[in-house]
Amino acid sequence: MLRHAIQRLAMAVPVMFGVLLVGFLLMQVVPTDPAIVRAGPTASAEVIDAIRRDLGLDQPLWVQFGLYLWRLAQGDLGVSIINNVPVTQELAATIGPTLELMAASLIWSIPLGIAMGTIAAYWRGSLLDRVVMAISVAGVSVPVFFLGLVLIWLVGFQWQLLPFTGRGGPLWTIEGLRAIALPAITLGGVFVGPVARMTRTAVLDVLGAEHVRTARAKGLPERLVVLRHALRNAMIPVVTLIGLQIGFLLGGAVVTETVFSWPGVGRLAVGAITSSDLPMAQGTIIVLSLGFILVNLTVDLLYGVLDPRVRAS
Amino acid sequence: MSATAAEILAPSRPSALRLLLREPAAAVSLTLVVLVVLAGALAPWLAPHDPFDTNLMAIMQPPGGEGYLLGTDGQGRDMLSRMLFGLRVTLGMGALSLVFGTVVGVAVGFAAAYYRRIDGLLMRLMDILLSFPAILFGLAIAAIVGPGIASVVIALSVATVPLMARIARSSALVVLGLDYIEAARAQGMGDARLIWKHLAPNCLSPILVFATLRFGQVILLGSALSFLGLGAQPPVAELGAMASQGRTFLFFAPHISVLPCLMIFVVVLAFNVLGDALRDALDPRLRV
Repeated sequence: MLRHAIQRLAMAVPVMFGVLLVGFLLMQVVPTDPAIVRAGPTASAEVIDAIRRDLGLDQPLWVQFGLYLWRLAQGDLGVSIINNVPVTQELAATIGPTLELMAASLIWSIPLGIAMGTIAAYWRGSLLDRVVMAISVAGVSVPVFFLGLVLIWLVGFQWQLLPFTGRGGPLWTIEGLRAIALPAITLGGVFVGPVARMTRTAVLDVLGAEHVRTARAKGLPERLVVLRHALRNAMIPVVTLIGLQIGFLLGGAVVTETVFSWPGVGRLAVGAITSSDLPMAQGTIIVLSLGFILVNLTVDLLYGVLDPRVRAS
Repeated sequence: MSATAAEILAPSRPSALRLLLREPAAAVSLTLVVLVVLAGALAPWLAPHDPFDTNLMAIMQPPGGEGYLLGTDGQGRDMLSRMLFGLRVTLGMGALSLVFGTVVGVAVGFAAAYYRRIDGLLMRLMDILLSFPAILFGLAIAAIVGPGIASVVIALSVATVPLMARIARSSALVVLGLDYIEAARAQGMGDARLIWKHLAPNCLSPILVFATLRFGQVILLGSALSFLGLGAQPPVAELGAMASQGRTFLFFAPHISVLPCLMIFVVVLAFNVLGDALRDALDPRLRV
């Protein structure tokens, strides 16, 4: 187990380093001089030179990379060129809402997807199975923004039931819950399909296994055979696959945040890129990538805990 | 029933196409895919209007109106024409990414399978690429080269390479273990010729199946990036970008946004259903 963990960590470190290097190079290839940007349009050549020295921009590239890592370690990702707010401050304010949105989407879509997949597998080939599979194929084919726009138009505008712009407040308030409902339904909506599909395959695999036949043969009620023997064993691949789908969910979150003006990292990143706010764009991309590496690492380690066979191999 | 010589000589297995068409869902999706590709390819000849021609006397016309079958958008441009041209751009963007991603991915996969010394290194690199979601490549590349169709194509190609490399490698490994490869090698056939003549044709079906399934995802991702404003820029007609621009008019003229969305949905759905059916027809072992 420990070896597995160390191996995974050892692989994650160079990847993180690579992300930081790409983030650093991002600022190099772009033809704007950060010193001029920071000094403002009216600054004299001396002032720009001073800022350049101050930022270490007169040093060789590898020294600059070192300085960049050093500043990063202190939580300094630079300052937005649009509104002069430190990038870390904006990031700190937006990470929470993004995690909130992802959690609120997963909390209903995973159980629903697992239930749908199990039902489809158990009554394989029936009309019910066909309906569930049709829903899940439609689910993986529908653009997230389509779902979002339809919900906004129908639930938000026609029925006037729920708000559809921005975050309403903390989740323990009614306003907060009402505001997150539509974004969470949208983002979770595209996740149900893949989960149902993966669960169906995994449960089908297990239903044919010998221990399930044994459980049946000894007269265990069907309900227990499915819940205790089939579903539980099917969970190992399902959990891993769900973990690996988090990237897919992140992509959906970026779009969902944009559609619903949800104040998350994804919307921040898109806004920064379309307005050429490079420090902000760089910061958001680094944070999203690092977050992503961490999620993958966690899933990998969890997999080891859930399934002892992984540790051995 | 009389049998032709070809039917007698050929093995009794029905052709993949016939197997495919036996399934109604597959037949419908194949028809849809053909229609959609034709509509995109022939857009300049099919479109009743110039997709960029604004008519300020007829803005936000609902579908079914006079002269404009699918209505007009916020600037009075014909929706049907824009949808056809949008389809063309969206499909083209997807096809380019898929071709680049497949060529590089298959090359990497074959190299890894054939030259086992570099296998570990290549596949570790692919694992790393695989560990990032496509949308993140989209954000990063748009930040470096600026938003545009080119950055979407680069991002989606990069995201496709590791997936293709895995498929190509695993099918190549199976084929390379077969006797006739050994025979070809014993005859003194060179690496390049062996790969081109014997390896590639026999790895075609898994690659084809995966490419079909991937095409749907690439279309979905590409239109999402355009929707975010990182892909096609106005006034270019692209389905995702059209859906995004239509948001302003969502409450007065929902068709401006909804029609392009529906089109994306139908295209992706058709490719996904077709991909699933192709997989079942070409490789029954994978059927679940």
